[in-house]
Amino acid sequence: MLKMTHLSKVYRTEVVETYALRDFNIDVKEGEFVAVTGPSGSGKTTFLTIAGLLETFSGGEYHLDGIEVSNLNDNARSKIRNEKIGFIFQAFNLIPDLNVFDNIEVPLRYRGMKGAERKQRIMESLERVGLVSRAKHYPAELSGGQQQRVAIARALAGGPRLLLADEPTGNLDTQMARSVLELIEDIHRDGATIVMVTHDPELAARAQRNVHIIDGQVVDLAEEPRFHTHADAAAQTHP
Amino acid sequence: MQIKPILTALRHHKAGTVLIVVQIALTLAIVCNALFIIHQRVAQLSQPSGLEEANLIRIQNQWVGKADDKAYGSLMATDLATLRRLPGVADAYATNSVPLSGGGWSMSLRLKADQSAPSAQTAIYFSDDHTLSTLGLKLVAGRNFRADDIRPMSAKDDLLHPAVIIVTRTLADKLFPTSTAVGKTVYLANHVSTIIGVVERMQTPWLGMSWGSAASTLVPFRLLTDGTNYVIRTQPGQLDRVRRSAPEALFAQNRMRVIPDQHGVETFRQIRADAYASDRGMAILMAVICVMLLAITAAGIVGLTSFWVGQRRKQIGVRRALGATRGDILSYFLTENLLIGMGGVLLGIALAIGLNLWMVTRFEMQHLSLWYVLAGAVALLLLGQGAVLAPALRASRVPPVEATRSV
Repeated sequence: MLKMTHLSKVYRTEVVETYALRDFNIDVKEGEFVAVTGPSGSGKTTFLTIAGLLETFSGGEYHLDGIEVSNLNDNARSKIRNEKIGFIFQAFNLIPDLNVFDNIEVPLRYRGMKGAERKQRIMESLERVGLVSRAKHYPAELSGGQQQRVAIARALAGGPRLLLADEPTGNLDTQMARSVLELIEDIHRDGATIVMVTHDPELAARAQRNVHIIDGQVVDLAEEPRFHTHADAAAQTHP
Repeated sequence: MQIKPILTALRHHKAGTVLIVVQIALTLAIVCNALFIIHQRVAQLSQPSGLEEANLIRIQNQWVGKADDKAYGSLMATDLATLRRLPGVADAYATNSVPLSGGGWSMSLRLKADQSAPSAQTAIYFSDDHTLSTLGLKLVAGRNFRADDIRPMSAKDDLLHPAVIIVTRTLADKLFPTSTAVGKTVYLANHVSTIIGVVERMQTPWLGMSWGSAASTLVPFRLLTDGTNYVIRTQPGQLDRVRRSAPEALFAQNRMRVIPDQHGVETFRQIRADAYASDRGMAILMAVICVMLLAITAAGIVGLTSFWVGQRRKQIGVRRALGATRGDILSYFLTENLLIGMGGVLLGIALAIGLNLWMVTRFEMQHLSLWYVLAGAVALLLLGQGAVLAPALRASRVPPVEATRSV
């Protein structure tokens, strides 16, 4: 489903080149639930933004659902994001000016879906996250947990093959975090591939597989345990 | 289209939206009416006088010292002979007034002697057999004055009774709409006159008279008084030369005269420019106001949209992450502006018509043509789209990764 080979991401300024990802390799199979862990600044979020086609990469290959994405133009990338990928962000990222219904409708409109089908999908996904009664509420009128469930409903409505979650429970209390995680597990059971970036070892333990990133590279903890002395080490910098 | 969610989102930005709507509405109302006024003024400016204006000079001559009427007659005849002999002069005549000069005589005309209400009002131009050729007036029916038609008239004679007159087509059509005017008789004061000729057009000395700008009558009189206007038509290319040589020749002929420094010797071009100075000034002022208002409105739209783009950067990133193309984002801001613009234009149309109705009752303005309102509305919508383009393009370049950045 998601395969990166020798992938690199370099941020260049006039004086330095900073590798966010270096010789990065990962293969997530269809239907897998993978948790990506690692210290802050290790490249987790960069990996997720590249996986979600939010950013381009500097070298290597990335196949998403069998498509090599490095040569796709902006519109083609938008179309893949819209049709194949669902995003769940730590900060929920709902549009404050739109109510719950309209928020979930946003990606469906970009797909050019007809009104009746949009409505059906929105109501189904709202039902799934248990927020049908909140359809006309604005994000500011909802709790954090409810907002995240709306964000999940928005991701679900498009019927994505791949769900990318960036610290989905990072802004939630334990109880809300648990219900959001149960929802994600539920979606996984229905067949979606899930890649979740998290700090939380407890959350990571719920995934089928854990991938650990340190200094922009995938580290196999089972085979090659190593201590990282600076938990918050920044990505390696090359002048 | 994304009209419904855009309208929903705009409800959360009421203050900015209302400000721009009101600004567009006021601009439309003022610009429509201003353009209408400009159009009227320009139409006024471009009215033909009926004269071949390019080579005409007017000299205002004032005799010094007292003389009797007979002496004025011979002084005038000598002056005209001098002017007509002058190199570069094609023809010349003496008159009380010329079109657009702002001063002259007017009288009422009757078709019957015992008629109480006049049939028409007319400007009176004292003329002779050289008038048509000097002014370049086009005779469309009948004949010109002959030398033996011309009679002297003293300023003391308060009753005008010309045997023959020439009228403009405007006046002829008004007096005799169904038949030819030549040969017909009319009453000027209480004296009957026969129309012997019709000229195509000759404007009156005044602008904006209710009875029309081209109802003029030529009477075959030489007015014997201490002040007169000499009108000279020069040969092509001789205007500047004659402008200098004519007053010199007149002074050489007789020094007992005053030709005022200001407006004493004027080309017809100057007379026209003076006559329409206020119209032209008004048109320019209105145009400047229009341009400034449009610029302020465009700047307002650019400012507000730029602010909104900055404010919604994260939201734009989220939309891009959810599958919006650059085109979708561009179209979002263009559509948003179009909706605001349409709100402003609808309100503006009502205001424009209201403002015009108010001016119709207060300042006797004409009713605004709806074409102005429609053209103004379209122009403002286009202006809005033009103004929003740069910030909208900037919005479309917000990368999708913006969605993951914390605010």
